[in-house]
Amino acid sequence: MTGFRPKLIKLFRFFFPLLTFLAFWELLVDIKLLNPKLFPTPSNIALTLYNLTISNQLLLIYLYRSFYRLVLGYGLGALLGISVGILMGINKYFYRLASPILSLLISVPTIAWVPLFLITVGIGDETIILAIFLGCFFAIVYNTMNGIRSVNKELIWASQMMGANKTTIFSKVLLPGASVSIITGLRLAVGYSWRALVGAEMLASVSGGIGYMVYTARAFNAVNIMFAGLVIIAIGGLLTDRLVLGALERKTIEKWGMIKKRE
Amino acid sequence: MKGSRIKLKAVNVTKIFNDGKRKVTALENFNLEVKENEFTVIVGPTGCGKSTFLYIVAGFEKPTKGEILLDGRPVTKPGPDRGFVFQEPTLYPWRTVLGNVTFGLEIMGMGKEKAREKAMHLIKMVGLKGFENAYPHTLSGGMKQRVGIARALAYDPEILLMDEPFGALDAQTRKVMQQELMRIWEKTKKTVIFVTHSVIEAAYLADTIVVMTARPGKVKGIINVNLPRPRSYTDKEYLSIREKVLSLLEEEVIKSLELQRRL
Repeated sequence: MTGFRPKLIKLFRFFFPLLTFLAFWELLVDIKLLNPKLFPTPSNIALTLYNLTISNQLLLIYLYRSFYRLVLGYGLGALLGISVGILMGINKYFYRLASPILSLLISVPTIAWVPLFLITVGIGDETIILAIFLGCFFAIVYNTMNGIRSVNKELIWASQMMGANKTTIFSKVLLPGASVSIITGLRLAVGYSWRALVGAEMLASVSGGIGYMVYTARAFNAVNIMFAGLVIIAIGGLLTDRLVLGALERKTIEKWGMIKKRE
Repeated sequence: MKGSRIKLKAVNVTKIFNDGKRKVTALENFNLEVKENEFTVIVGPTGCGKSTFLYIVAGFEKPTKGEILLDGRPVTKPGPDRGFVFQEPTLYPWRTVLGNVTFGLEIMGMGKEKAREKAMHLIKMVGLKGFENAYPHTLSGGMKQRVGIARALAYDPEILLMDEPFGALDAQTRKVMQQELMRIWEKTKKTVIFVTHSVIEAAYLADTIVVMTARPGKVKGIINVNLPRPRSYTDKEYLSIREKVLSLLEEEVIKSLELQRRL
């Protein structure tokens, strides 16, 4: 039994609870146990999604805007986050300097920064990208640093025994040794960056986006559009996590047996 | 063949651990001479500092007083003139069996093909032919230690240091590994320092058995084993060696138990 059938079972296991939930929802609205004005049926939401995509293509444009901000903010966060995390992991002076600051800032919800950015950076893309950047930066720094610092001492000793210099130890022992933690950080950051994106778009967008769509729909009482937006946000978060980082995980730490295989 | 040349010399090695609260003298004026091409086994009660001694020879720890001379030169830090096999298999999970064994050769700057050839020879010698492309997490404990031995031999160190390498294995595997180690050693005739708390193991492997006292660790007695190899675990002379070691150890084990109780 290889290939097709296990994959089918996996898909079924994922979609069965979901479809049951949606069917229940549809039923509860149909028999008026849920107010249709507040809770559009799943079929209505699907129709809205269809209209938004095909008829006026607004959703596609908005998705593109959001995705553009997400990629920039996340990319920047990953790049700088991993770099700072590595520095903190290998240099004890830098660690002592940055660690207290990190512990304080990591607990500030990203969205709390946005009003400040609105004044300093101004309304628009820059503020949203900055919010996404901050949303992922701290998680990535923290996990990278922890990963480097917790590499088994004996793995380092073994390489020193073989004559490895600092550069070799860093690239061939510390970095791969920290990979589980780094990937965990990157994964967490995907979730955080979606949250930051949607939140910041609600407060600071002037040119559309998924969060902007959900927020402005409020003005027209368009509950179905709000729900359509929520669906897109949920699916977007899931897909970026599973497709991008899931693949990276399978090719590295899962193959190396450093984490258990996902069911 | 068996020269009386001294390969390694420990001169008045003293190690005091001081964590600010307590001072523990692990080794006190420990003196030892290890002859070239000889298999030296250090036995001692738990906590007698035998592993600490090996760590000092490896360069992982610095002695508080005294020095280690390898071919007359003082040891200051880890380096490829020594090979180390750890108590727990310390393999790089992101490298295959072959990748682990070639790591030291890579660091030396040996060409890929040549390194591969040399590593394959060693992998074959430790009985892992066919597993060269396996990742460590797929191997059993005994197999992992075989890789550890091959890796430590790959870059052809002057002396091989083994820190209770079979301590974590089940009794049956342990016996097999002892026999295997003897087979490998007969082929390479490396100078070996092997640390264990098992008298059975010591008498089976050693040319020279060094019995240590309870903490602070000193040399209690030295027993030369002039038995032909492969030895039998039931041979009368082998058993009398075991008795000799045991009687030396007995007093020290009781002392070490008392030390532990006082902690």
